[in-house]
Formats: sequence, structure tokens, C-alpha cells
Amino acid sequence: MSKSSQTQINYLNFNFDVSSYRLLGRELITDRITALFEIVKNSYDANADRVEVEFIDVNPRNQKSKIIIKDDGLGMELNDLKNKWMVIGTSSKRRERTSPAPYNRKVVGKKGIGRFAVDLLGSKLTLKTKKKGEKQWIFLETDWSQYSDLEARQLTLPFGEDREYFTDIKNNYWFENANENEQGTILEIESINDTWTEYDVVRAYKELARLVSPNSKITKYPFNIKIKSNYEGYEDVLVKPLSFVEFATISIELKHDKERGVQEIIVFEKGELIKKEVSPRHFGLVDFYLYYFNQSDKRKFKDKFNIDIDGIKIYRDGIITTPFAETEADQNKQKDILGIDKRRYSGFFNKVSSRDLLGFLELTDENNTNVIEATNRQDFIDNDEWKQVKLFIIEQIQQVEKLLQYERENIRQVTKSDLGKANEELKNIKQTIASVKKEVSPEVKKQLQFIEADLGKLQGTVNKSIRDYAKLEEDSKQKESLFFSLVSLQTYAAMFSHMTKHTIGHVLRDAEYFNKYFPNERLNDRFKLISNRIYSEFLTLRTGVDFMLKYAQSDSEVEDINLYELINNLFNNIYSNAFKSESIECQLELSNKLILNYNKKAIEDIFDNLISNSVKALKGNNDKKIKCSGIIEQDKLVLYFSDNGIGIPDEDRFRVFDIFFTKTAEDGGAGIGLYMVKTRIEAMQGSIEIVDNEFKPTGATFKIVLPFKK
Amino acid sequence: MELYVLIIDDNLKLKEDTLVWELQDKFGESNVFFISNPKEALEFINSNLDKNIIILLDIQFPDNEMNGHNILSEIRKLSELIPVILWSGVNESKETFSDFINNNAFRFISKTATNNEVMEVIDEAVKYFKTNLDNTIEDWIIQKDEDKDKAVYFTSDGKSYTLNEILYEIRSQTDIGKSFAKKLNELTIDLLLRKKEDLND
Repeated sequence: MSKSSQTQINYLNFNFDVSSYRLLGRELITDRITALFEIVKNSYDANADRVEVEFIDVNPRNQKSKIIIKDDGLGMELNDLKNKWMVIGTSSKRRERTSPAPYNRKVVGKKGIGRFAVDLLGSKLTLKTKKKGEKQWIFLETDWSQYSDLEARQLTLPFGEDREYFTDIKNNYWFENANENEQGTILEIESINDTWTEYDVVRAYKELARLVSPNSKITKYPFNIKIKSNYEGYEDVLVKPLSFVEFATISIELKHDKERGVQEIIVFEKGELIKKEVSPRHFGLVDFYLYYFNQSDKRKFKDKFNIDIDGIKIYRDGIITTPFAETEADQNKQKDILGIDKRRYSGFFNKVSSRDLLGFLELTDENNTNVIEATNRQDFIDNDEWKQVKLFIIEQIQQVEKLLQYERENIRQVTKSDLGKANEELKNIKQTIASVKKEVSPEVKKQLQFIEADLGKLQGTVNKSIRDYAKLEEDSKQKESLFFSLVSLQTYAAMFSHMTKHTIGHVLRDAEYFNKYFPNERLNDRFKLISNRIYSEFLTLRTGVDFMLKYAQSDSEVEDINLYELINNLFNNIYSNAFKSESIECQLELSNKLILNYNKKAIEDIFDNLISNSVKALKGNNDKKIKCSGIIEQDKLVLYFSDNGIGIPDEDRFRVFDIFFTKTAEDGGAGIGLYMVKTRIEAMQGSIEIVDNEFKPTGATFKIVLPFKK
Repeated sequence: MELYVLIIDDNLKLKEDTLVWELQDKFGESNVFFISNPKEALEFINSNLDKNIIILLDIQFPDNEMNGHNILSEIRKLSELIPVILWSGVNESKETFSDFINNNAFRFISKTATNNEVMEVIDEAVKYFKTNLDNTIEDWIIQKDEDKDKAVYFTSDGKSYTLNEILYEIRSQTDIGKSFAKKLNELTIDLLLRKKEDLND
């Protein structure tokens, strides 16, 4: 765009500081596909019907390389440019939630991020924009390389004192006459930063395709994205959502019927997934499309589309919702908004993860009013409806997992019984030969002896296979148990590091104070307090470290354990901080002479998990209690572990021990704790069940029975 | 200029922390407050808007209470003038900061910071107060008590405000206070530009 003769050049200055530039720009937009995504989202928010992304001469990169992004949206006036485009978008006042009528689109773009996105694509921008009715197009020129230079020179920490404004840099603007009816915004980016190969353009296409749901019905104001480039097949294409249904191993498409008020769900029954109609959930009626990919289908999918399978996303009225609208190329950094991977450990015993699933939950503004995107754009508002949405999705995934588990178990059983059968048949053949041998000629007898010898070898092989198979099963059980300890270690590590931070802070400041003011008669009381505190803080720290170290020790050792001391240590040392901060009162009624001969870590794990389970159940209670009491009955120990928390609904009574059954996903509950408790106890030939709660009216009581070893 | 420090933290251990002593020694024992309950803290702030308070705010609170994010935004509903220093042991890489920036947090310090490090930030907050409009007015009143009851601001509905009243309005962040501050700045700039006044150091 050249400046025509009728133009008059003026200047605009950006109004933001270096640290915001860094924080909000570079850190949020890490790659250029994301950048493109952000810019296109802005067009959507500006009520554009179509946006066109054009790559000109982008491979190899040269003087003429350009990326042009053109939309027919609302455009901007000079005032918008000054007060919006040039100001970083952190002010809550400008955070409109919907675009202007009649489109009323739910805003998906991050305000104020678009221009940083531009920066990532190329350092020179000419922006051309116009509102309907205005007589002139406004042109604004920005050279980002100047800003980066400034940033490099003035780099300061966020929240730093000297907020340097980029006000020294001038951005030219001018006007050109136009047809009043035209509207839109055109970003012409030059001095582009990177070459765009065919692969890059194709990837851009695929990412942009995710913006719109593949299942969206025609809305009143559809949004079309077009890509233009020199690459074959992408010269001038309309971006369409991918159609991958044919690649999925399992496809589930759940609809709803508004007139009859019914919601479809799937249920695993007798070896298959069956669709059922149920009454709507609390959050309203939805459509849900869920696709599972096994290893080989995943490979085929990747070969075909060259994109990752990356979980379930939520769309509203056909457009992706904000928490899912942030593209993140690195799969490890993607947020687990739905809590699918909190149940982590994909593939490990029949759990599927985001990487095995593609899904689309289709909300509508009309049906699901109370599922609301949080203003920080990272999540949904944590209300009952949102919790139910998550539960709904997880429940459906669990049905798929049940099917997969069933199939796997089937194969295992078949293999096992086939091996057994083969062994039986070999025996039979041997017997037959033995009986035939007596009645045949010496030559045949000799031949039969060879056959017998071969059969013997074969039998050996089959037997070995049976043993190997058993060992394999044993191995995977061991891996399972190792994996469980790693999980609890992880939870513990998070708790531990939080605790250490506080302890270090206290001790550090104590030491500092002492160092600064000692000696001073007047302050003796304080010095005394300080030394006391350093002592007790370090004791806490030591216990924490000891506990942590135990995880590193071997797992199978059996030792004499004083159960009273063990639980007491958990109550009064390990958990004392957590109890104090939550004001939980704990009570232990148990003989302190009782010695058990078990693996210590296993026992500790059991109570560790029961306690952390109770702590979560007590959230929100006033008068919080945890109690553990035990009695000896002949050859067994009966323990009751109680809290007066929210309790366990009757219908959950039996499934609380199921792995990955959790109602506390928000508190970091992975649904492993009680499963681990149960497996550990069962490994000791004991049992655990939920009995009538000791504390009325609310709460839960676990009854644990451990037999004394003979 | 009288300054107050309010620490909002659920960890009661901090009440006895040497940092609290340092603050008490600097600002006076009765000027340092420790409140662990967010709601009480907000009530305290609300009823002391006419004072200069520096706030140290923890981020993590028990789940059933407000956290630092909510508390800061509630404080901002009451006043834009209070410097709020965030002070936390959270994992910074997992924390979201944009709302803190939006709500104009003064600084961010870690729970492992030394007293020296914290006091440096506190000093900056003190400096911030010293250059504030409301404190300039207060200093004026202290030095020239006779100006206290002179009317300085007249609204279109015929009301007038004395210097002392305007000070209250600014600190309470009322519309009157805000528009006075804005107009005062505009007036100063206008005077300077028209060479009616000179500003020299």
C-alpha cells in the first residue's frame, strides 16, 4: 500500500509498557500458527462473514514476501485505533462478552493480543480499516522491529517500578477516500519473520479448521475462512472442518431431542456400547461427539492429517469456546480443562487420555446458559453446571474404557485358555502315541519315538509360554503398584514444596533478623522466640524429608510396625499443617502396643490416602473432625476411620473404591486414593467397606479389617 | 503522614514473623494489622478508606474462602489508591497474572523473601504515598490549618466542597473525588501551558 498524494501523515503512539508487552504478547503467542489463529479470531469477533489469509511469495522469504489477512468485519474508526488498537487490552472495561448485534457472537479473541500476533508473523504492518459509513479508509503503519529493539534495551521484570512507555516510537497514519459501504480490516504484513513452507500453510489450514465445529448446523451468520497461497490445493480454499469420522476406532455421536426433553448417552452393557435416552442433566441438553483412536488408527490419522489427536473440545453455537480457543502447539503444555488426563496414565490398564480421543461437546447459548466461560479465559466458571458437564464427559469416556477393558480381557482369556488347551491336546496326543506304540512294528515304533521326543519339546515350549504369560501378568501388576506409588509421591511432592517454601521463608527471615539485631537486651524475648521457631520449623522440615525419602526406598520389605505411632505421626506431624490451616480436629483411639508385621509404606499409603480423602470431604464444613479407632477381635484388627465431611451418597457406596472414580477432581483428586487403599488392604488379605457413619448427621466411616498373620 | 500496613494471610504463624516486627518498628506497633479472614480484611479496608494503608496480600486461601485474586479485585472495587503487594508461596509458573496486572497490583514477592527484600518494596509503597495527590493535600492542611475549611470545588448542582472534604472524597474514591483530581490535573497543565504558573524544583 503506497501513500497516495492526497494523504496527510500523522502519528499515533502505542500506550503500553515493556513488561506488559513481554508478559501478554510473547508469552501468550509462542508460534506463528497460534498468531494466525488469534488474528482470525479477532475477525470473528468483529462480525466478519469471511476472512481471507493470503500468503504471497513466502517461500523463499524475500523482499516481496507478504501475508495479508483481510476481513469484512466492522472495522475501526480513528478513535478505536487510538483507544483500542494502540492500548494493550488489559482493561476489564473493554472486555465485552459478545460482539455487536445482530450477530451477538460470543467473543473468542483475546483483546489486545492480535497485534502481538502480527508482530510474530512479520515486523512491518500496514493496517487498513474502515467502518461502514465512513468516507475514508484509515491506514496505520507500524514497524515492530523498533519495539523489539526497545524491549531488548529496557527489559525489566513485571511489576517493575519504571514502566517505560513505547511512546517515543511514531506510527504513521493517513487516510484514503473510499466507498461508504465498504467495511473491514486488512492487515498487510511485510518483512515476514519466517519462510512458510507448504507444510506450514497446510498446518495453518488445519489449525484454523478447529475454530468452527464440524458438527455446527448452519447458523444465521456463518463465518468463513479462506486461505490463498502458491501451493497446490491451497491456491484458494475455503477452510472446512476436518472429516475424520472414518478414521476413528470407535465413533459415538450423541444427540438430544428438545421436544421430548431427552438426552442420548452411551452405556456399556454385556460387551457393547448401547445408546440410551435419559432425562437432561442439570446443565441442559447437549450434542456430544466422541471418537476413540487405537494405536494403529492413530497412526493412520496422523499420516492422513498430520495433526495431533488432542482431546475433547467444547463449542458453543458452533464456535470454539474460549478456554479451548488457545492453540498450544506443545501437547505437554495443553491445559487439561476437563480433567481427562488427571486420570492420567494413558494406556496403563485401560485408561484413555486426551491423546486417544477427539471430541466435540456442542453447547448452545439457549440450552446451556449456565455453563459460562470464565473471564480469565482459562476455564469455565466453577458452578454446579460446569461440574456436571465434566462429570458427563468423563462418564461417557468411562463407558468407552469399559468396552476397551472388556475387549482386552477377552483377548487375554482367549490366549490363556488357548495355551491351556494346546497343552491338554499335546498330552492327549502323547497318550495316544504311547498306547499305539505297543501295537506297531519296530520301524514305526522308532518313528513314533522321534515324534514323541518332538512332542516333548513342543510341550516344553507350551509350558514355558504358560509360565511366561503368568509372569507377564505378574509383572504388569508390579508395574501397576510402582506406578501408584509414583502418583502418591507426586501429590506429596506438591504439598511438600509448598510447605518448604513457607518454612524457608520463616527461618530465613528469623536468621536475618537475628543477624541484624543481635545482641540487644531489649529484644531478648524476640530472640528466644526466633530460636524456638527455627528449631520447630526444622523439625517439620525433617519429618517431611524423611517421609519423602521413604518413597525412594525398596517396596517389598516387611517390618514390625507400631500402628499407633504410624497414624499418630501422620496426624500430628505430616498432616499437622494441613489440619491446622483447615481447622481439622483429629482423634486417635488405638492401643499403642499393637504391632503389625507388614510393609510400612503400604500401611502408610493406606492412611495417607484415607486422611487426604477426608480432608477433601471436610472442605466447607465448620466443625471438622477426623477420627480413627481400632479394636482387636480374636485374630483380626478392626479399624474405623471416620470424618464428618460431606459423606458418600448411597449410590456411590460401592464405586468409591473404583479406580478413577472421583468427585473431587477440582481439588486434585485423581480417583486413585481409595482404589489404592482397597488394593493394598486386599493384598494383606484384609477388607474395607463403608459402614454407617459414626458422626451424624453427615460424614463417612470406613471399616477396615486386617487379619493378624499366623 | 500516618501509614498503616495490613497483612492478609491465612497462615497465623506469620503473625509472629520477624517481618511483622520490622514493620511494627517502622510504622508503630498499633499501625500494623494482621487479618486472616478475607471478609474481615475487606471490612477493615472499607471502614479505613480515609487512611493510608499498604497491603500485603497472600494468594492462596482455604478453598471455601476468597483467594488473592478475588480479594484484590474486591479491594479495587473499594479503591484504586491502595498499593497491594502480592506475597505468596504459590508456584509462580502455574499462577495466572493477567488479572493482577488488570487490578493494578503493586508488586509481587515470594514467601521466601527476606525482610530486607520485603522492606524495599514497602519503601517503594511509602514513596508512592508521598507523591499522591491526597497526601499532598493532607500535608498542606497540616501546615496551613486555616485553609482546611476553604471551599475549593463547586459542582454544577450548587454544592461546594472544602479542602478537607475534598480530601475525604478523594480517599473514598467517590465520583466527586475522582473528578476533582482529574480537573485539578487539567487545571495545572493548563496553567503551565499558558505560562500562568511556573513549576521549578
